[in-house]
Amino acid sequence: MSEKNPPPRRIGLPRLHKEAGERRDFLPSLVEFMGRVGAEEIVIEKGYGSGMEVPEAEYLAASPRARIGTFQECVGQDLVITIRCPSEEALSAIRPGTTLVSMLHFPTRPRRVARLRELNVRGVSLDEVKDELGQRLVQNMQAVGWNGVRAAFDVLRKQYRRFEEPGRRPLRVTLMGSGAVGGYAAHAAVRYGNPALRQELADKGVRGVEVTLVDYELTSDENYMLTLLEQTDLLIDATQRPDPSRVIIRNEWVAALPQHAVVLDLSVDPYDFSVTPPEVKGIEGLPEGNLDKYVFQPDDPAWDAVDPRVGHVHRRTSLSCYSWPGLEPRKCMEVYSKQIEPVLRVILERGLDGIDPAKGPYYDRAVARADLARWRVGRP
Amino acid sequence: MPVTLGLPRMRQEAGERRDFLPDLVRRVLATGVEVVVEHGIGSGMGLTEADYTGLSPGVRAADRATAWKQDVVLVLRSPEVEEYPALLRPGTTLVSMIHFPTRPRRIRKLKELACEAISLDSLAGDDGQRLVENTRAVGWNGLEAAFDALQKHSRRLESRDILRVTVMGAGQVGKHAVEAALKYGSVARYAEWSPRMPPVEVCTVGRSLTSDTVYLRERFARTDVLVDATQRSDATRPLVPNEWIGWLPPHAVICDLVVDPYVPTGKPPTVRSIEGIPKGDLDKWIFLAGEPDWTRTIPDGVPSAQRRTSVTCYSWPGIHPEECMRHYGRQLWPLLERLLGRGGVDGLSVRGDFLERALHRASLRSWFVDGDRVERVQALD
Repeated sequence: MSEKNPPPRRIGLPRLHKEAGERRDFLPSLVEFMGRVGAEEIVIEKGYGSGMEVPEAEYLAASPRARIGTFQECVGQDLVITIRCPSEEALSAIRPGTTLVSMLHFPTRPRRVARLRELNVRGVSLDEVKDELGQRLVQNMQAVGWNGVRAAFDVLRKQYRRFEEPGRRPLRVTLMGSGAVGGYAAHAAVRYGNPALRQELADKGVRGVEVTLVDYELTSDENYMLTLLEQTDLLIDATQRPDPSRVIIRNEWVAALPQHAVVLDLSVDPYDFSVTPPEVKGIEGLPEGNLDKYVFQPDDPAWDAVDPRVGHVHRRTSLSCYSWPGLEPRKCMEVYSKQIEPVLRVILERGLDGIDPAKGPYYDRAVARADLARWRVGRP
Repeated sequence: MPVTLGLPRMRQEAGERRDFLPDLVRRVLATGVEVVVEHGIGSGMGLTEADYTGLSPGVRAADRATAWKQDVVLVLRSPEVEEYPALLRPGTTLVSMIHFPTRPRRIRKLKELACEAISLDSLAGDDGQRLVENTRAVGWNGLEAAFDALQKHSRRLESRDILRVTVMGAGQVGKHAVEAALKYGSVARYAEWSPRMPPVEVCTVGRSLTSDTVYLRERFARTDVLVDATQRSDATRPLVPNEWIGWLPPHAVICDLVVDPYVPTGKPPTVRSIEGIPKGDLDKWIFLAGEPDWTRTIPDGVPSAQRRTSVTCYSWPGIHPEECMRHYGRQLWPLLERLLGRGGVDGLSVRGDFLERALHRASLRSWFVDGDRVERVQALD
């Protein structure tokens, strides 16, 4: 990539095909924006937006440069934009020299990085678009915390018979992890994940929610944790473990939770037995969920499908979803569409080779940090 | 097109040591804008004028009045409205924490003086998230002070099984307070304490429990550090009446991150969130329960018989001035770069990009005032 490439002008917007429940696509406002800042042609895959009930006509009306095409046509453009990384098969369909803008997660996906380089696809990883303080500029942590907690309280409300009784004790949430996701989870949890529900219960004189946050010093203390878990109505994992091969809550400890308790996985770390030692979830034994299915009752067959090397005998109703923001697709894409605009402006107006990563304007520098051609392993 | 930037100093209290750092000045100079800094800039943080003037011939030190006479004047804390006429000249753009929504007099005076302004606290993204803020320093510095006080004034901390922190409020400040509390208020202290001191359990409670006296009485009795990070909807009533402070153990520390003022002359009068604690600033922020001037900042008639060691400061980020200004400088730079690049507020467009839209929304011309009522001009959004 030593040759300086001009800015891409032809754009493809393929649909996300990970699972049937994935309903997200970028909104017509982004098509209008791209048409305004230099796109010559915007190819939109047939059916784009249908998961959010946005008709194709709205995309076509957004820009005279927009047209409907096939998946193959979309991935054949100079610049391909999709919020989730395409599958291996779809990646292979992208032609060499293309710029791919997506959540590519370079630091944790070394094989993907190698594959993109092999295919000569220039990735711009949206999760790596960061300011000088290291803050992500394209993210929806708020939706992770709020959507997950709201879904968990919906389940707890159904299965804890005293949930709406004025005489009950305050609900107890145990939250592991105090980072960005944990912060939003706590914010949501003191409101039952739903401000209207909080108001409704407060009006009935029902007592509120206490959120207890614990860090490594306490999660490694078995006596303390077992006592805490015995009193926990909702257990949330929002940790970022430095060592994903080590569990925080062993499967035996899950047995200490009351029968009505709910477990919420916001970290959504995957199981990976292809590495040594294997990588596991923070709460041992939880099934992996997605937008098609994210609630697992204790008798759900998904538990039995968990690898036998992972303890999963002790079970409580659990929620896990690879993409919590996707539960509210339109809201989610409103956030992402706004956040991605300045990134695309840089790419379309100046091109990745036309930006100065050190002295360029704010977004030029941020995009440069996310450019695979400039990205090195271990770089902050 | 503004060609000069003034960086005057802040003079609110002796303990105010913050000034914008040479790094920000260096970046501004690179855009071709000339900079005038007030004599003594940086001295509160151990810097000298030469650290600024040595950057380039494009920067010079001058007296206060000259620093205020530049095309764009950047100062973190706004002077009081009474000082505006003496400091500002027509056409100047004041960039500062002006607090438009709650300070109608400032809006009126700035308009009367034919000035332009960008309020740093109004700079927000399209999602409403503030772009120039330091809630992290509020949480961390406040908890650092709270654990300092706990360490100095509580006996045999190490013999406890666990240290219990209760955080009231789960917003941005509360989030950072939780993070900080889990690390004893500072990463350095965490490294030193974690092998030998009891671990921390943090309990966050929201509005649904802060009025539950049965719950609070029981929780307060087990609390070592009580943190107030709430945003009250009614500032005329305390969240924690003074009597409830008596439920805390005698060694407990109260950490006030809200720093609402007492305004006894207000109609109706506003009170502090935790009733009967003093009001601190950068000159003094730790108040021991037994000290004689406990009531110096508390208006007559406010109950204050129940006391616990309290940490409270009008400007928590200012406790670590250099760190604070490095943070603000980094947040501010892209916005300042865009403002200067557009030739000032006149060059901003509501249809511009993310940064330009944010600047436009935070500009004086986007705000309308009628009596005490302040609104953002909707047509510009």
